Amino acid sequence: MAAQIKNLSSSKPRQNGTCLRVGMGASIAQYGELFQGQVEDDNNRARRCLISLPCTAMFSRVVFDPDRSGYLRVSPGYKEKARKAVEVTLAYLNAEGIGGLITIESTVPEAKGCGSSTADCVAAAIASADAVGHRLREEELGKLVVAAEVASDNFMFHNAVLFAHREGVVLEDYARRLPKVQVLGFDTAIDNHVNTLEHPPAEYSWRQGQSFQTLIGAVRRAIRTNDIELLGRVATASACINQEFLPKPMFHDIQQIVRHAGALGMAVAHSGTVLSILLDPDDPLVDVRVEQLRENLETLGISAVLLFHT
Amino acid sequence: MHKSILDIYRPKLVPLEDNLTAAIFPFMKIFPAEFCLRRAREEGWISSQSLVVETSSGNMALGLAIVCNLYGYKLSLVSDYACDGLLRRRIEDLGSRLDIVSAPLAEGGYQKARLDRLAEIREQVPDHWWVSQYDNPCNPGAYAFFAAQLIEALGRIDCLVGTVGSGGSVCGTSVFLRELFPEMKVVGVDTFGSVLFGQRDQLRQLRGLGNSILPKNLDHTLFDEIHWVTAAEAYKATRLLHRGTSLFCGGTSGAAWMVARNWASRHPRQRVVAIFPDDGYRYADTIYNDDYLLKENLYLSELPQHPREVNHPLEAHSLWSRMQWEQRHYSDVVNARSTVV
Repeated sequence: MAAQIKNLSSSKPRQNGTCLRVGMGASIAQYGELFQGQVEDDNNRARRCLISLPCTAMFSRVVFDPDRSGYLRVSPGYKEKARKAVEVTLAYLNAEGIGGLITIESTVPEAKGCGSSTADCVAAAIASADAVGHRLREEELGKLVVAAEVASDNFMFHNAVLFAHREGVVLEDYARRLPKVQVLGFDTAIDNHVNTLEHPPAEYSWRQGQSFQTLIGAVRRAIRTNDIELLGRVATASACINQEFLPKPMFHDIQQIVRHAGALGMAVAHSGTVLSILLDPDDPLVDVRVEQLRENLETLGISAVLLFHT
Repeated sequence: MHKSILDIYRPKLVPLEDNLTAAIFPFMKIFPAEFCLRRAREEGWISSQSLVVETSSGNMALGLAIVCNLYGYKLSLVSDYACDGLLRRRIEDLGSRLDIVSAPLAEGGYQKARLDRLAEIREQVPDHWWVSQYDNPCNPGAYAFFAAQLIEALGRIDCLVGTVGSGGSVCGTSVFLRELFPEMKVVGVDTFGSVLFGQRDQLRQLRGLGNSILPKNLDHTLFDEIHWVTAAEAYKATRLLHRGTSLFCGGTSGAAWMVARNWASRHPRQRVVAIFPDDGYRYADTIYNDDYLLKENLYLSELPQHPREVNHPLEAHSLWSRMQWEQRHYSDVVNARSTVV
């Protein structure tokens, strides 16, 4: 991975002797994934990939106060992945001998599928690059974050992309933003946390691999033509396939509620417990549908919901 | 290289009416052939020494011959008279062995005669792998790329129309499409004398669709509507398609087209896709030859405007017929009370 990162930029800036300043970085988070699965490349190799459902209602902010100690400290102290993100970023930028204090302030819940550690790592990488006077490109950011945390989400990209989250590589760049959707999100299990690294990657069958191929065809169409109805169908189909690997409690009840309310579909966290119900923001009945969803979810014991637009 | 060669067989999507798009394959069967073989290789079911074997009346045989040639496997095929000279020469040129059974059996027809010959070959060569297109789930499983292509180009699809032989293309494509559009209708096209949708087995003139046995790959519960067409009707439709559009396709494409047009005209607001499985070159001396059609009594001056409505498979005979299948199981349809005995 380190070698891959080194190869990213041939015109890497030399940082020896640069002035240091307090660096700042911020990142949004996500609320599950619109798609998660695998696609075959031209050599018939299966590559795991995902499309995050970005959530601007949550964020992580990092302040990096650098010094020449060569020793990195992080606060809160358990955010080891963010410390690692700063370490790989500084190494990538050839900023040797730099240490300092990484302070993280985050509103992203942890181990829920909201991408809390990716958000921390993105913000930390941006902050540490900023501290040495550098702005990272998106693809650099993608590589660095994966190097820091093994598997990452992809909300650091401005455009919609299909992201190989264990390689840090963009497999497909859809060259435009995800269509706008209204989201009603909630946690399907309050006490059931998932640690991304401990959770084994899904072992998809060949048949499921084929289904993913169809879903990617639909993703391309949905993003190209701004077809949020189709995007909703993709998210639901992806959720159904992955229900086998990381089951969400009350999945079928929730599916019924989604259908009944005339929502577009649902996106689940593929390593987490949150679930997003997708709605058309331009639908004149959207408020009615949201109310109906709230009421019906209440009968399942789900009362805390988060409303946001992508 | 293999990927690029496969790419030339990908279908072109051509809008024939406002609500009807034809998916025109130059040669569809290469896709299930390739996918079955690729899966067998990935799973270690075959080694480089293995003999690949299969029985087919035509296009699956050529599909396998191409793929085995590309991937370097030995191939032994069993076929019958439907495997014409052009096909034979191509298959043999690609290095495959081809056995042609000369006569049908009283029970099970050519199909059974071919299976008997295949059993002999399998006994003689222990290190063999039978593709088994009728039962191998990789046959329908191969069509995900096609479903992806359709959705990417067209978005929502309301109805899929295709001819049924092994069950691969129609069942495979519709299963993948329905993962996104569960309400999509599926219309199957069969021919008289085929057992696929409850007719009694008879010698059939129309080839490339229909079957004398029930393949495991045929999932009856996917189908909303079934049509039976005669060889003469399918050939007439194929010719009308050629004259009207210049599309030069095989007889199964004509059969799919006449049924898809009928469905599309009955449902003007719904988007229909028809599968055209091969091009017309193999049929230049037959379907495209009036002398042949007259001699074989397959010449039709006009196509019926509409199919005859039937309520049971055994009520369908002689003329283009249509039945509401309603996603029922085979036994539920066949055992339903028929008005004819």
